[in-house]
Amino acid sequence: MHPEIQRIQAMLDAQGYVADEALATSVYLAIRLRKPLLIEGAAGVGKTEVAKVMARALDTDLIRLQCYEGLDATTSLYEWNYQRQLLHIRLQEHSDLPLDAREREIFSEPFLLKRPLLQAITHHRPPVLLIDEVDRADEEWEAFLLEVLSDWQVTIPEIGTIAARHIPYVVLTSNRTRELGDALRRRCLYLWIDYPTFEKELAIVRRKVPEVNGQLAEQIAAFMQMVRRARLEKTPGLAETLDWSAALIALHRDHLDREAVEQTLGVLFKHRDDAEKIRGQWLDHLLRGLEEMSRQPRPWTQDTVAQVADQVLPR
Amino acid sequence: MTVPGDLTAHVVGFCRALRVRGLAVGPREAADALRALAAVDVGDRRECYLALRAVLTSRQEDLAVFDQVFAEYWNPPSPSAPGAEGPEAAAPAGPEGEQAAVPQVLAWLDDALTPSDGEEATAAYSPVDVLTHKDFSAFSADELAEVSRLVVAIARRIATRLSRRMRAARRGHLVDLRRTLRYSLRRGGEVIDLAYRRRRIRKTRVVVLADVSGSMDVYSRFLVQFVFALQHTLGQVETMVFSTRLTRVTDALSEADLRTALDQVARQVPDWSGGTKIGASLRQFLDRYGDGLLGPRTVVIIISDGWDTGDIEVLDGAMRELRARAGRVIWLNPLLGSPGYEPICQGMRTALPYVDVFASAHNLDSLRRLERHLALRGRP
Repeated sequence: MHPEIQRIQAMLDAQGYVADEALATSVYLAIRLRKPLLIEGAAGVGKTEVAKVMARALDTDLIRLQCYEGLDATTSLYEWNYQRQLLHIRLQEHSDLPLDAREREIFSEPFLLKRPLLQAITHHRPPVLLIDEVDRADEEWEAFLLEVLSDWQVTIPEIGTIAARHIPYVVLTSNRTRELGDALRRRCLYLWIDYPTFEKELAIVRRKVPEVNGQLAEQIAAFMQMVRRARLEKTPGLAETLDWSAALIALHRDHLDREAVEQTLGVLFKHRDDAEKIRGQWLDHLLRGLEEMSRQPRPWTQDTVAQVADQVLPR
Repeated sequence: MTVPGDLTAHVVGFCRALRVRGLAVGPREAADALRALAAVDVGDRRECYLALRAVLTSRQEDLAVFDQVFAEYWNPPSPSAPGAEGPEAAAPAGPEGEQAAVPQVLAWLDDALTPSDGEEATAAYSPVDVLTHKDFSAFSADELAEVSRLVVAIARRIATRLSRRMRAARRGHLVDLRRTLRYSLRRGGEVIDLAYRRRRIRKTRVVVLADVSGSMDVYSRFLVQFVFALQHTLGQVETMVFSTRLTRVTDALSEADLRTALDQVARQVPDWSGGTKIGASLRQFLDRYGDGLLGPRTVVIIISDGWDTGDIEVLDGAMRELRARAGRVIWLNPLLGSPGYEPICQGMRTALPYVDVFASAHNLDSLRRLERHLALRGRP
């Protein structure tokens, strides 16, 4: 493996992020080619985390822009500090300056509130700019973002054009609630993060919730692999795995049994229907699956889990 | 590091192969691919694979195609095929500035990626193109899956067009602080008049009325898939099916899984494959849902062959009212694709004067043409 990719993998690892080779390669190329990295995947697989870890690994600041429906250029770029402007006008009430000079004054940089995009390009060193859930923003905003990402400069009517001091490292995430435009996609490197494999999930549980003993960690990871085969409203992701592990620890559980699972279903499933479905139709099979797993030789692998799941789970 | 010359040619060939298979790979992406390969260890096959994948794919659907093309291209079955050596065999790269090489490469990449006439012919054999010219009624299950995938792509394009005109509707007014301050400045800083801004509210709604009577049987499977895809992609879609009477199936179709949705629809619709009373069904729609769903920003899509066994006067009246109350009326007729078809059946003849767009829906080409009619424009 390229030493730089190894280094990035090690850095991510040191930050507590278990990164596979694909992820490390993508992050490396995003840094090296200075191209935005678009990360897609189901909710809770650790997309946002990549940007955070990247910032720490590069030892730079993270500037985050959370997208939502109705996000517009103003809120993402800059806004005027109205309170300060009003105050200033009041203080200048008796000044002799002509009106247009006073106007120029209050629409100048000291009265400018920088929002994430402007912050990112005027930062004192290249930050990591995280544009989170870009699929939630409107198409118009997406077009605007594309412009910023191409030109690295923004125009403020009252002041003029502000060019980027540095080009930030950009990470975009999307849950695919809306299809992103081709133009934006093509500008980015692409990384799809799937639900983790058994091995990866196990490593992450051990890493993030060290209080979990070896047996419980294995059972949790195997359970998650199996439960993701159920067709649910919201398939639990890594975030849920970790919450669940923590919940089991809080309840002093050291292995999974019916009682432990039933007690904590709410942590794992955020939809009532999902919890009901698991309790009603799946739990017996899942517990049988865990039993069957315990008879398998160790270390368990993705394949072991898949085989057992094929045997015991409803189709 | 630069990428060795022979590898460059292979990468360009690889990009072309991806493009033929429908990935959005142009000269810019090919140049990035070369830059990416220059940045990784070209002797490491997995690393090359990961680097090329990061640069040359841009959506999840691309990944399977990419894997397939990668396997075929860098591991061709016959040793004489291009790229037989694979990245492993590439000569080790020497140290040099990779950035400098890129602009020159870019120029000829443009030529290299443009397929010559011979390759154009190969491209035409891709499954996508073959399907476009086929009648839906003759599709196998596999082909239907492909159709469904394409319909999603088309519906997405429709969504893009519509949503440019849709603005998030916010209740009430927002104070425009920027302008308010400008006004107040003229009055010595006293905020007297508030300036408001208001978001433009432009919602486009699509209502689909699909005929599921006996004469439409061969198309029903496809049509339900089309509507299913449309509803899932556009969001604001209301779907009703009719034969002798009308059933609203929006909720059934909002099931995440097509099969479940179909089961639901089948259970809800009492008169599947029955006779057709278009007029009475439309009348039912107007009376029951018209107030809530119709308006100048509503596009009504009727999918039917126009064979009506009901009262023609009822149809005439219903169409007249529909045309008056909806923003746009589109009639999709699967028969329109058949050579020599003329809308002579009485139902179709009656409805036609009230239709803004009369289009065929028998193959993908016709659907693609439909796409551009979906944006709301003024009536001619």
